Amino acid sequence: MRWRVMTAAGALVAVGALLVGCSGGDSSGSDDSTAGGPVTLDYWAWGTAQDPMVDAWNKAHPDIQVKHTDAGGGTDSSAKLLTATRAGNAPDVSVVEYQTLPAMIVGDVAADITDYVDDDLKSKFTDSTWGLTTFNDAIYGIPQDVGPMAFVYNQKRLDELGVPVPTTWAEFKTAAQAVHTADPSAYLATFNTSEFGFFAGMAQQAGAKWWSVDGDKWTVGIDDEASQQVADYWQDLIDNDLIKVEDLLTPQWNQEVNAGQVLSWPSALWAPGVIYGVAESMAGQWAMAPLPQWTPGDSKVAYQGGSAVVVTTSSKHPKEAAEFAAWINSTDEGAGIQLSTGQYPASTLGQTKAETSDPPLLMPQQTDFWKLASTIAGNTIPNISWGPNVNVAQSAFQDAMAKAVQDGTPLRDALTATQKVVVDDMKTTGFDVSE
Amino acid sequence: MTTTTTAPTTTSTGSIPTTRRSRRSPIAPYVFVAPAVVLFVAFLLVPMLYSVYLSFRGLRLMPGGAFGKREEVFIGFGNYVSALSDRDFLAGFGRLAIYGAIAVPLTLGLALLFALLLDLGATKAKRFSRTAIFIPYAVPGVVATLMWGFMYLPLTSPFSYITEQLGWGTIPFLENPEIFGSVANIAIWGGVGFNMIIIYTSLRGIPSELFDAARIDGANEWQIAWRIKVPLVTPALVLTGLFALIGTLQVYGEPTTLRPMTSAISQTWVPLMTIYRDAFVRDDLPRAAAGSVFLAVCTVALSVILLRLTQKRAFGES
Amino acid sequence: MSQPTLAHDTVRTPFLTKALPTAVILVGALYCLVPVAWVLVASTKSRSELFTTFTFAPGSGLVDNLHDLFAYGGGQYGTWALNSLLYAGVGAVLSVVVSAMAGYGLAKYQFRGRNLVFYSILAGVLIPGITLAIPQYLLMSKLGFAGSYASVLLPMIVSPFGIYLCRVFASAAVPVETIEAARLDGAGEARIFTNIGVPMMLPGMVTVFMLQFVGIWNNFLLPFIMLSDQSRYPITVGLYTLLSKGSGEPALYSVAIIGAAVSIIPLVALLLFLQRFWRLDLISGGLKG
Repeated sequence: MRWRVMTAAGALVAVGALLVGCSGGDSSGSDDSTAGGPVTLDYWAWGTAQDPMVDAWNKAHPDIQVKHTDAGGGTDSSAKLLTATRAGNAPDVSVVEYQTLPAMIVGDVAADITDYVDDDLKSKFTDSTWGLTTFNDAIYGIPQDVGPMAFVYNQKRLDELGVPVPTTWAEFKTAAQAVHTADPSAYLATFNTSEFGFFAGMAQQAGAKWWSVDGDKWTVGIDDEASQQVADYWQDLIDNDLIKVEDLLTPQWNQEVNAGQVLSWPSALWAPGVIYGVAESMAGQWAMAPLPQWTPGDSKVAYQGGSAVVVTTSSKHPKEAAEFAAWINSTDEGAGIQLSTGQYPASTLGQTKAETSDPPLLMPQQTDFWKLASTIAGNTIPNISWGPNVNVAQSAFQDAMAKAVQDGTPLRDALTATQKVVVDDMKTTGFDVSE
Repeated sequence: MTTTTTAPTTTSTGSIPTTRRSRRSPIAPYVFVAPAVVLFVAFLLVPMLYSVYLSFRGLRLMPGGAFGKREEVFIGFGNYVSALSDRDFLAGFGRLAIYGAIAVPLTLGLALLFALLLDLGATKAKRFSRTAIFIPYAVPGVVATLMWGFMYLPLTSPFSYITEQLGWGTIPFLENPEIFGSVANIAIWGGVGFNMIIIYTSLRGIPSELFDAARIDGANEWQIAWRIKVPLVTPALVLTGLFALIGTLQVYGEPTTLRPMTSAISQTWVPLMTIYRDAFVRDDLPRAAAGSVFLAVCTVALSVILLRLTQKRAFGES
Repeated sequence: MSQPTLAHDTVRTPFLTKALPTAVILVGALYCLVPVAWVLVASTKSRSELFTTFTFAPGSGLVDNLHDLFAYGGGQYGTWALNSLLYAGVGAVLSVVVSAMAGYGLAKYQFRGRNLVFYSILAGVLIPGITLAIPQYLLMSKLGFAGSYASVLLPMIVSPFGIYLCRVFASAAVPVETIEAARLDGAGEARIFTNIGVPMMLPGMVTVFMLQFVGIWNNFLLPFIMLSDQSRYPITVGLYTLLSKGSGEPALYSVAIIGAAVSIIPLVALLLFLQRFWRLDLISGGLKG
């Protein structure tokens, strides 16, 4: 009966596929050679700095080899981390953005590594930097890079138009006015409804505390006074056509930057690298200054972005993983690579080293860039805390802000809407939230 | 095609009751369909059942301080209530209706038009056009994101460039309500070729005797197209219509593509985007599962209605 | 049996009627090609030209871009391309085998559960990929395959539309008489399938192959979720990681665009090559001639 052959053929196809799968499957986070051979760690990270750092580590540590994968940017890789942890497939080590870290803790992804942080390692970062990865007195990650907020602007064009660099937000408004009057096709900056991190940073600079916890009780302050002050400020600028509402880093935005129609980007210290990526020909025309302040004479800024390296709860080699995380983030070699690829190191060693490095490619003329960066980094607000559902807040914020802009309703109301969604979500999950 | 049947007991579509050949291989058909069935059960049925199971559960905090851990527990219809009382989710269906009203008729209409044109003797450049119109089908979503960004944003769009030169200003591709057309356009652009090929091959299967007879009677090409060809490709039209309907309900890629470029599209613009957000951004897989089940039920209902309405025309052989 | 050549031509059409169809279809062709043309043009622009020159003006950076593309990450693009080829090629072949077998079985035999099987499989189109993606991932993880090549291949093999097409082809193209005759000659069912059924179903199988190849090549979500080792990514996921770095890292636009352009080319070439197999007698299911 030839159908037996058919059955056999069909079965072979299926088995063959499975065998291919078997030999290539990796179902656990780390791979253990039973005979005490080298330990292999899986490391998820994005960005151009990662490959060189991993290569440097692998060369120096033949007994602990690290395999690097780019699992997508911050939002994507954190989503994958959660799913992978549930499935038992998580890597040993991963880069996690500071704002997502609480969600990783609640999702049982990030492991408590307080035991692996000895005093020596502790001394390599400032207390406020450790504050980014410490919760309930437990350390959950080693800071890798930080993004103290700063003001990056088109120096050439502002000089041409005779507009002084603003040091306060009030001056920023005046400057925006001057720019737009002098050149109706240009705007000082754009307001981006998706930039949750930026808005949060500005609110924090104004004194807002979006999440705070007292014992077991959470308080959510997304629409507190300080935040609403920020919303009103931007509302004012938008209503008077001093600022363009547009999404960042789209082909159009990039083109406008190149054409001198967007003249600044209030963001953080990593901004020069990003601008350079889309406006290479403008090297030498841009510069960096401290972010404008609410009160004249103040100098405090928040962080925007930046990430830490966490050891996952799925890792079978937490000690080695912690060692790796510590090495790339706090040694001279690691810091050197970070700087060369545009990351601003979180370690004090790295920041000091930065001071003697070349300025970023976008602003070779600003020789005091790194000194200024150190000063800015030293003025960051201590104890910024994120909550357990930042992802929810981010998506609600983005939608509410977009809607406000589309409908012409006040940005304030968008904040209130976001607050409601965040509080409701925390309550549904079971957190204790005060009204 | 028509065959001359010599054995009066079998039809030209040829299904053989196994009872007449039971000594041969009663299990032969089972063997043939086995791989498909096994794969179907493993990768479609089981995941879907798991989704349904998940939709009745939720992630809740276990006590343990401010930063307790979340665990999965049974919560009954909680997710369904949450999804169905979510105004954004339901508004998504409303937007689907508008989007579908633009995308489906245009996709099918253009596909039919191009297929008819290709079938016309008078048309030149057939090979080139047929290939060109089919190419968008081969373009992956990631690439489409790049392309349409440049095509739609006022500053970089060649279309806006032309209208600006003509003094008409830029085309507001990315504003409300034009955004519906812009999103639909991406789907139409990608889908016309595929549907055109289906209708065209159906057309090519019509015996020419029918047309010759009509031409002898004095009918011109347009009349032939409208009165003979279109009715005869109705099964293909129903098929493509069904796919277009399902595609509309499951639209996800096109609005997601445009979202980074405009504030006119929220993260919950269509139901599947809400489901994606729940699953990946909010890490609320159970709620996403509930939304999916609801969406699947709607899809089945609408498909059944469509097929009932056109049943006689669609599956003549079964 | 031979078909008379279908003569849809006429000879007495006025000029306008002659020119109009061509004009309309050329407009359609142009509309479809414009964005693709953009990708090809944009891939010639160097990084600094991308956002400073007119959208359709060719640039000067093609060679540099190609070099950057293949040098990125130490040759990752080449790896991604091979992966895409593996997933799409092997996946499409397996899919054709499974679909042909299933379609033939459903069309040529009556058996208990035939309609149940057919309609259940068809119902598979009603479920969006996003819904299935995570459960498939969890299932694969339980079996220990997550992250392997099989975890991406296996879910994409069963294609409801492919099975439907094969069933239609089998119905229409494989006459019962031939099967009966072969049986009387003593051939087994399997032999009949491979020696008689398959050759007759070939145009349909080529169609299914092409559809599956394109579908798998362009699939993003399943590999994105299943894979966490970038040496196994297909091109779609690879390109995505180039672009989606968030606002803290520069997006590698030029590399992504040239990568996209290079990836479209083999697909188009494949389509052109397989086009000639699209003859008459294809999807005519349900037609009564």
